[in-house]
Amino acid sequence: MTVETIRGRRQWPLPRLADPAAPLLEVEDLAIDFALPNGRLHAVRGVSFRLDDGEALGIAGESGCGKTTTALSLVRLLPSNARIAGGAIRLFGIDLVPKTERQLARYRWREIALVFQGAMNALNPVRRIGEQIAEPIELRLGQPRDAARKRAAELLELVGIPRRRAAAYPHELSGGMRQRAMIAMALACDPAIVIGDEPTTALDVMVQAQILQLLEQLRRDLGLSLLLITHDLSVIAETCDRVLIMYAGIVAEEGPVSRVFTAPRHPYTQKLLSAFPNIAADRRTLDVIPGSPPDLRDPPPGCPFAARCPAVMDVCREVMPPEIRFADGVRVACHLYPPQTAGTAAPPVSVAGLAAPASSPAASAPAEIIP
Amino acid sequence: MNASYVGRRLFQALLTIAFIVVLNFILFRLMPGSPERILTRNPNISASVKTELRERWGLDKPVIPDQFVAYLGATAQGDFGLSYQYRGREVGEVLGSRIWPTVILFGLGEAIAIVVGMGLGAYAGWRRGGPVDYLGNGLSLVLYATPYFVLGMFLLLVFASTLGWFPTNGMLSAGARYDSFVDQLLDFGHHLVLPLATVSLGLIGLYSILMRSAIIETLAEDYVQTARAKGLRDGHILRAHALPNAMLPAVTIVAIQLGYVIAGAITAEVVFNWPGIGTLTVDALSTRDYPVLQGVFLLLAVSIVVANLLADLLYGLLDPRVRT
Amino acid sequence: MTAGSVPVGDLRGARLRLRLRGAREFGARFVQRRDGLVGGLILLAFGLLALAPGLFVGPLESVVSATGERFDSPSGEHILGTDRAGRDLLNLTVHGTRVSMLIGLLATLVTVFIGALIGIVSGFIGGKVDTVLMRLSDFFLVLPTFVLALILAPILLDIFGSQAELLGMRVTLLVIVIVIGVTSWASTARIIRSQTLSLRERAFVDRARVVGAGPGWIMRRHILPNVVNLIVANTVLTFAGAVLTETTLSFIGLGDPFQPSWGQLLNQAQSDGAAGLGAWWVLAPPGIAIILVVLAFTLVGSALDDLLNPKLRGRR
Repeated sequence: MTVETIRGRRQWPLPRLADPAAPLLEVEDLAIDFALPNGRLHAVRGVSFRLDDGEALGIAGESGCGKTTTALSLVRLLPSNARIAGGAIRLFGIDLVPKTERQLARYRWREIALVFQGAMNALNPVRRIGEQIAEPIELRLGQPRDAARKRAAELLELVGIPRRRAAAYPHELSGGMRQRAMIAMALACDPAIVIGDEPTTALDVMVQAQILQLLEQLRRDLGLSLLLITHDLSVIAETCDRVLIMYAGIVAEEGPVSRVFTAPRHPYTQKLLSAFPNIAADRRTLDVIPGSPPDLRDPPPGCPFAARCPAVMDVCREVMPPEIRFADGVRVACHLYPPQTAGTAAPPVSVAGLAAPASSPAASAPAEIIP
Repeated sequence: MNASYVGRRLFQALLTIAFIVVLNFILFRLMPGSPERILTRNPNISASVKTELRERWGLDKPVIPDQFVAYLGATAQGDFGLSYQYRGREVGEVLGSRIWPTVILFGLGEAIAIVVGMGLGAYAGWRRGGPVDYLGNGLSLVLYATPYFVLGMFLLLVFASTLGWFPTNGMLSAGARYDSFVDQLLDFGHHLVLPLATVSLGLIGLYSILMRSAIIETLAEDYVQTARAKGLRDGHILRAHALPNAMLPAVTIVAIQLGYVIAGAITAEVVFNWPGIGTLTVDALSTRDYPVLQGVFLLLAVSIVVANLLADLLYGLLDPRVRT
Repeated sequence: MTAGSVPVGDLRGARLRLRLRGAREFGARFVQRRDGLVGGLILLAFGLLALAPGLFVGPLESVVSATGERFDSPSGEHILGTDRAGRDLLNLTVHGTRVSMLIGLLATLVTVFIGALIGIVSGFIGGKVDTVLMRLSDFFLVLPTFVLALILAPILLDIFGSQAELLGMRVTLLVIVIVIGVTSWASTARIIRSQTLSLRERAFVDRARVVGAGPGWIMRRHILPNVVNLIVANTVLTFAGAVLTETTLSFIGLGDPFQPSWGQLLNQAQSDGAAGLGAWWVLAPPGIAIILVVLAFTLVGSALDDLLNPKLRGRR
């Protein structure tokens, strides 16, 4: 499928200001901070990435790394003490950062929709799900009520819920069905991008698999572009084309899933992957990354992973590593990969087997990295 | 709505009412020399009436079951005996003559308070912070801490005694003659303003605090974030998502407070000499007019139970989760 | 558990020191909050007045020993004016503090005692006992004290005889304490019961049972200490309610004309027609005193609730 086909499939025309030649989504050097009673918390510090039509990008990282903040900032759903301190968010070439709240509302749901964890409270408990799905169709697209209801029923069928359940209340549905309903709701205005914020956490493994399968199918059939936020790498491995690993507000590594997961370059990524139990491998003690992320109220000048990195060098503590792009499409921010190596096919540097800098050595048999 | 939900609530209400009726019976039998004393002590009735009363209430027969049955029968028919104070009038009739002023006062007061109080509270909860919120919150807190009759006395002092804008007591001007019904209505309204203001302000204090915290809690819920993500307008989110959910705890607490509100409204009547149940009660207490006291107790208690039942049913209508 | 057990005496001492330190920290956090501080100061002031009213204004003036003119507005001699019988309002209001607070305190003790007892027993034993007790509490929850007092109080007064003295207190006041106590325990009982229910499932209760502790022992030594936090926060709010209820009951005539609680003073003012005559000084002191005290209790209560039950911390 080409960009033209995908964009041609849209039910509604592109926004007026859109540049048809521009990429779907381009985030450049995004910085977000929170005003706290005792200072400012720099949650996102210069994050850049790009999403093309029909692509699925997974954003992964531990809690507090800024991935959810980044995602929510695209539609400016941040809490009142947060502000975008810099950077650009370009949707079809339209920069959303300088827009006012009112101007921005135009793009919410119609261009960028969200799927929250439907398990708990993301659906209004006192209204029927059919109504909630029809709501944006009626109010944002200006459709008459019965047409909106009809479309809502179609969407329910699309996600595998029998249409007669449109009259159900959220508490009458199982967790998996609620999540499907949330997906149907996200598709209501035929958006360009669907952001899934931990969409499968809180679901059991079987249901998780079904939901992921559904997302994959919708992506193929509708040409959807997906931004998946999760801490669960296996979900990304299964569903996404590319992955972006965040750490303490910056991008550690980004690239095609097939490369990053098999030949991780950044020490953090390597450690993350080795922390995953491998059902096929021999039994061994799980790798633990000792220490914890830095306090983002006063972030260190250099690489934030320096305090925990087994391959740390002096320069890492002083200077923020520049982002280097390799020939295989992977982008890394690490001093192990100096600017001279940009554009080459330089192999990853394995840090497995190196002792961690502080206290307890993580006991492990090294996993072999294949360059 | 689910029949079993309604059935359960109805059954509980009836059980409570039964308990009230029995309690009433037992308590008055505890007194020395009662019920003979209560029912026939009245100096204002003749001996023949006394004998008739004795028979009607079975006072010469054993307490259980005969007197109890007679009591139940009489209560069911609205026969509570004869009042001491009112020269042997039927208690039921005395109550009947005093109930409408109270109903009007309380009903209008509730209506105004719900609209104004909940509206203010919802607005304050929506637009948190800022001087208006703090001022409003502080004011509501003070109102909530003030007994109704203190509020009434204050209003009376300022607006009736000092400024002279409104009459100081009663429901209608004493000994007045009216050219038309409209004139009478206007006079009634003139007298109604201060008592109504008292009841309403007290309730507004309560309801606005209630609604404000209900809205604040609701706005922190996830589905409000979903609604914002949908790009819906603020006004719509408040009306279609926040309010329907905020009503749930609001209705619950209104129901819980109902009894206290009724008690407060009744004491407010006393301040203004409003000829309703409140002034009747105070008079009956001072003259130990037990038949009237019993009647008032039953009336108030049953009304409160019924009101709670209605509030429960309303909650069932609003929250689909309890119906299953 | 390895070797090196702590001698028992040391353990108790250590526990006591820990508790004291906890109390000090708690006190520090409490006064940091504005609402707790303001409320606490107000209550302290009224508490002092209640403890020794004679110290501040001399003995209680009665109709016989009245010192002023009828309905004198505030002046140099009588800062808060006089009532219809010529009694100094400042004198009356300060003495009234003692009566109102005393009745409030006693009624609260009765309420909390009954409520905690029923709550713990009901929650812990469960089954039929629980059902019956909760039905009973439902009844008292629905009906306000005021309504029940309408028949309870006159009956009790008649049984005891209103001129009598019992336990060193005049019967009228005792009756009010009993009436409030017996009718207000329901909400306390409910709160404590739900906490007991969740405590019952905890491991330490099971361990106690296995060791062979009887239900009474467990309730006293394990459940009770863990619901104390709730009880304290609840007591403060109950106290406010008790003072308000006493005021209302006295206002409608169930109080004692010889013991001028604030409600009684207002009752007197009402029958003297003070409001209609514009004698605001007769109404203001007791009225404002009530509002201040109830407000103070509410502030302290909400501060305590926030500090002791931090589930909702971070919401504001």
